[in-house]
Amino acid sequence: MSLALYVEDGSDRGGAGTPLLEARTLTKHFPLGRGAVVRAVDGVDFTVMKGETLGVVGESGCGKSTTARVVMQLIPQDEGQMLFDGEAVGSSALSLKDYRRQAQMVFQDSFASLNPRLTIEDSIAFGPTVHGVPKSGAILRARDLLARVGLDPARFAARYPHELSGGQRQRVNIARALALGPRLVILDEAVSALDKSVEAQVLNLLMDLREEFGLTYIFISHDLNVVRFISDRVMVMYLGEVVEIGPVEELYDDPRHPYTRALLSAMPSMDPDNRTMEAPLAGDPPNPINPPEGCRFHPRCPHAQTVCSKAKPALTPVGSGARLAACHMEIPGSGHSRAPALEDAA
Amino acid sequence: MTTPLVAMENVTVRFKGAQTVHAVNGVSLTLEPGKVLGILGESGSGKSVTLKTLLRLLPESRTEIGGQVMVDGRDVLAMTPADLSNYRGAVTSMIFQDPALALDPVYTVGEQIAEAIMRHEKIGAKAAMKRALELLELVRIPSPERRLKAYPHEMSGGMRQRAMIALALAARPKLLLADEPTTALDATVQIQILLLLRQLQRDLGMGVIFVTHDIGVAVEVSDRLAVMYAGQIVETGTVRELLTDPRHPYTRGLLAANLHGAKRGERLEAIPGAPPPLNEAPSSCSFAPRCKQAQDACRTSLPPAAALGEGRLVRCVQAEAALQPA
Repeated sequence: MSLALYVEDGSDRGGAGTPLLEARTLTKHFPLGRGAVVRAVDGVDFTVMKGETLGVVGESGCGKSTTARVVMQLIPQDEGQMLFDGEAVGSSALSLKDYRRQAQMVFQDSFASLNPRLTIEDSIAFGPTVHGVPKSGAILRARDLLARVGLDPARFAARYPHELSGGQRQRVNIARALALGPRLVILDEAVSALDKSVEAQVLNLLMDLREEFGLTYIFISHDLNVVRFISDRVMVMYLGEVVEIGPVEELYDDPRHPYTRALLSAMPSMDPDNRTMEAPLAGDPPNPINPPEGCRFHPRCPHAQTVCSKAKPALTPVGSGARLAACHMEIPGSGHSRAPALEDAA
Repeated sequence: MTTPLVAMENVTVRFKGAQTVHAVNGVSLTLEPGKVLGILGESGSGKSVTLKTLLRLLPESRTEIGGQVMVDGRDVLAMTPADLSNYRGAVTSMIFQDPALALDPVYTVGEQIAEAIMRHEKIGAKAAMKRALELLELVRIPSPERRLKAYPHEMSGGMRQRAMIALALAARPKLLLADEPTTALDATVQIQILLLLRQLQRDLGMGVIFVTHDIGVAVEVSDRLAVMYAGQIVETGTVRELLTDPRHPYTRGLLAANLHGAKRGERLEAIPGAPPPLNEAPSSCSFAPRCKQAQDACRTSLPPAAALGEGRLVRCVQAEAALQPA
């Protein structure tokens, strides 16, 4: 049984080295009434190249899960557009149904994600039958996938979710996500609820599957060690906006946005002789209802100056140039005293 | 030599029911006054049960506790209900993972703290409220006067955790038990709470037992570490010893799984399989089915706890072999 059967119309259009997903000014606001609005996602731009893994990090309430849900089209965006392999999602060239076959998602809660009344092979086969694959073929494929995620189909296929451990259930969720032969898989805290020793097994599995099926991942996690390990590029979000995005090593070794720096230095030191002595940020993550003007990080930023509360900094190339950061200290002539000088027009 | 603040000797905990669960299987540990012990383990390893045993918080009718538990020179297992309610809070206190569940939603934070103070000290309501305010200042809650009158749902997660710490410290305990108190928090808030706990522990000279599944967190707060697996302590030592020279294969696996220093994209040295079911007491090494170095001896008898030095125990037959230079 080959995967190609399920991706007949998902063949690579633009060729390798082109973006698989381009998100342009994605915006999702949740009105609360009386004029209050949760600006969960506020004009987010990013691209995910074919075959790469984009890690997404940020505190709770920064909009990483809402971004994932909009990308998955579980909730519609208020504004903005997504291009999948060059085609607009929801257009006549790429209907929502066709798109959803090529983009799949794995959630944090492995138990809540599975129908408790379906055996796991039925859960995995459910999607393909909805998309017109005959039941018998879908079941065969489900068993094949179970074997690929490391669960012996003879032992597990007929079990119900409650008969499995957390790690096993998450393997089932991964198998189900792969049942339609997707090209993009969104992993929203998919390993966060697992014990460390099991988490390592599932991370190994995700890397193997990425290789085997040529998958592209969007990997959302609060665990910066895991994100560093699995990602090619990392996107840092703060209050519904992207504050920094770029290649993982560069971003971790030389973070340019003060928020990225704070987030990274909040990681435990793993060195008893060199423990963290000072918390990089005071207080809790702020509420995304009516966020501050200008740079949204300025009330917590140690380098904030007048310009930061007045103007919103745009994403600007930093470091090698493959990286973008939204900070007035990086924008030439922004008015911040630590900003680089404007280059001569000549 | 000082008397230890905590001395657990060969403690076993069984939960009776349709199936007996052997949650803790022969745990011995000691804690000196004013020191911090981190207990590191995965879900089901018995770390929280061990902690609750120290406060006798487990349901009496369904739980069988064996061995000896001494805290501050008192036999915890022999306490009467009246002894226990004097002991809880005043000698030993506990903070939990979810402060939203641990705090009472229908009383203000101030009322809850004052109540705890008045339970243990002869002091009026007004004076108790004043102490509650001092405690909120101690845990550095911003605008404490206002927070005194706040209900738990009116506070953020980090602030609630601070309020719970204040509540736990209300009767000046000698021993603070912390059960994953930062697991539900963002990393930026987690580090604030860890630093706060470390400072309070030093300033108040408390002994702390800190249970966590996160090795990074354990390293940040602990003097010594105990690694638990399947209801047993498999390795103890100072933080430095465990990080630089882990002897038990499970400890080594946990360290690798933390991904600190892992090479990007390289396969992880994952521990295969899953922890064993605990429906019978272990008669051989519980880790042997997942262990690459397991020998016949591991599958037939319990490995002895090899003492590699002061407070350094490893429950593995190869612990000492690894010491000899090849």
